[in-house]
This record gives sequence, structure tokens and C-alpha cells, in this order.
Amino acid sequence: MSLKNGTNNSKSTGQIIVVTSGKGGVGKTTTTASIGAALALKGKRVLVADADIGLRNLDVILGLENRIVFNLVDVAKKVCKPQQALIKSKKSNNLFLLPASQTDEKDVVDEAEVKAALDQFRREFNFILVDSPAGIEQGFKNACAAADKALVVTTPEIPAIRDADRVIGLLTARSVEPLLLINRLDQNMVRRGDMLSVEDVQDILGIELIGVIERDENVIVSANCGEPVVYNPKSKAGMAFNRIAGRLCGESIPIPDLGADSIWGKIGRLWA
Amino acid sequence: MFNGLRNFFSNKAASKSIARSRLHFVLVQDRTGLTNEEMASFKSEMCSVIEKYFVIDKQGFDIEYKRETEMTTLVINSPIVVRRQEGQKHSAGSKHKHKQNQNNKAQTEESSDPQPVVAG
Repeated sequence: MSLKNGTNNSKSTGQIIVVTSGKGGVGKTTTTASIGAALALKGKRVLVADADIGLRNLDVILGLENRIVFNLVDVAKKVCKPQQALIKSKKSNNLFLLPASQTDEKDVVDEAEVKAALDQFRREFNFILVDSPAGIEQGFKNACAAADKALVVTTPEIPAIRDADRVIGLLTARSVEPLLLINRLDQNMVRRGDMLSVEDVQDILGIELIGVIERDENVIVSANCGEPVVYNPKSKAGMAFNRIAGRLCGESIPIPDLGADSIWGKIGRLWA
Repeated sequence: MFNGLRNFFSNKAASKSIARSRLHFVLVQDRTGLTNEEMASFKSEMCSVIEKYFVIDKQGFDIEYKRETEMTTLVINSPIVVRRQEGQKHSAGSKHKHKQNQNNKAQTEESSDPQPVVAG
């Protein structure tokens, strides 16, 4: 299979999307792997790149940890050819991983080096998803360097939303379009007024919503097995990631109404 | 449903309302970059400017730094008890409260320092 199979005459065709959150542990890596796999299922050529230098994990979520030879730092420093660092997914011929280095410091590469390293893959891939490290320091800046869009992952909790807000400000200043992904929503808690609803989070953060993932045990089961949850057609999370992939491809797929405020929630809000 | 009823009868605010108002507080701080003291003095200065022209309900006075898709706005929400009129006295405790929400919007750039401007 030729990797030089551009879809049109333009030099750069693929879009680069950074997956970021500010706060750690909200599901960036799972989101990157799952949406990457979902886009590949739709026939898109997808590269998922791990920009969490020193703390890589995208490889284990995809079950590819034992195949790593070269990494993003090697590509950025031109130690190897770009193609040499790519690892093909076990499940799909369309999905490739560019792992992070586990031994380097976060600031071993700068923004220009990462941008150049990732930009050269635009010709061969329709989508390049970049898994950003937590935080808003150098690692975050590197991950955003080449990005056209950002998926801002948050959970419906104060610390995650607060950090997402910071990140949205930084992305806007860099002219990277932010899209909101709400992770680990619990419909029952929303219904009884003990969790911020999709509407609440969207209202607070004020950016376009790309999708909502419900809390789902299958995500952990899939991670245990090193297979993205989208391969489990019965899982709620898997289906939601597939819908997000569709939206990223420009399909018009409505976002299901997940635990919209019950009448009691509304009354509670009036009372407060 | 049961919890909803429980909350309803115990008149206990659902915890998400608490989360909302706490988030509102930290985000105004984060977004404006003003310290508590600076925000307090900004509020009281704003209040006194508006009070020159209107009788306002200070309890309801609120400042929000709101992000929308296209722009970020500073929303100054000042419930007006009644319009000040010449030769007429108004007590703030008047029973006839005309709660008009006057939104004075000042647009600021995301990255620049907020420059509050009260539009008439």
C-alpha cells in the first residue's frame, strides 16, 4: 500500500486535531485512540500521535506497546525517516500510531520541530489526532503547534471544567478552533440534579459541542485488552465515539439528549 | 424521581446548583485575571457609577465574563429598582420593584486585558 496516496492535488490534505484538556485523567488518551479507531472504521486514513513525551500511554491503549522502535522525538530530530516511526494497528489497515518517547524530557523538542514532524504526515493521512499531555506548559504547546482544531475533553466536574476553560482561552489565542467533548456523563446523576448537565457545561464553556460520552465500564474493559472501545458495537461509549467520528467527517448526526434536566432539576435550579 | 421529590420536599438545592455557582465564581476570576480585591473594588466602583443615574438593587449586582462562540463579553448585570427622576424620592425598600435587567456589554479581546466600558 502506498503511503503517498493523496486524495487531491493540494500538498496538505489531512487535518491535524489535538486532543487536550488541561486537567489530567479526564480521558484524553482514550478519546484519541477511540476516535482514531472510529475514523479508521469509516475508511479514513488516520494517524494517532502521542505528544505526551516521557509519559506515553497511547501505545498501551491501542495494544501496540511491544512494537515501538522509533518515536515522535526521533522523527522531530530526524533520527529516522518519518515512516519508520509509524506502527500499524492490529485491528485496522487505516490506523497508525506515532508513539512518544518514554525516556526524554518534555522540552527536548520545541514547537517548530513538532509542527514540522507532524505536518509532513498531512499528505498521507486524512486525520492526524494528537494526544496532548495534561497541563498548559511546553508539552501542551508542542501538541498544539500543528493543530487546525482541538477536541477539548472535560468531565462534568468543577476542576475539569475550570481547566478546560483555561485551555479554551489559550487555544483561541492561538487560532485553534476548540470543540467540546464531555466525557463520563452519568444520566441518572444529571436527572436527580447531582451532576452538571450537558446544557450546563456547554453554557459555561461557550464553545461548539462535538459529542457526549456516557460513563461506561466497557471503556476500562477495552483498555485492559488494548482494543479501542469502538470495536465493541454494544457499548454506549463506543457508539458515541463512532458518532463523533461521523461529525468530524462532516456528517450531520444529532447529539442524543442525555439526561436533560428533569422537572425536579429545573425546580431545584429555580430554588437555588 | 425519588431524589427529585426528596430534594423538593427538603428544599435542599441539588448539588449541581452549588457546582454551577462555585464554577461561576472561579471562572470570573480566571477569565478576568483580577484578584478578589480588584474584583471587589471594580464592582463597588461600577455600582457607584450606575447609582449616579439609577436606583439599583446592589444585592443583585453581578459581573460575568462570558465566552460565546465569536467573542468574549463582560456582562454587568444590574437590577434597577427604579429610574431616578428629578424631584422624586425613592426608597430602595420600595415594594414595587421593577426588576429590569440592564445588561451593559463591553466587548474585550480574549487575550487582551479586560477593559470594562459601560455603554449607556
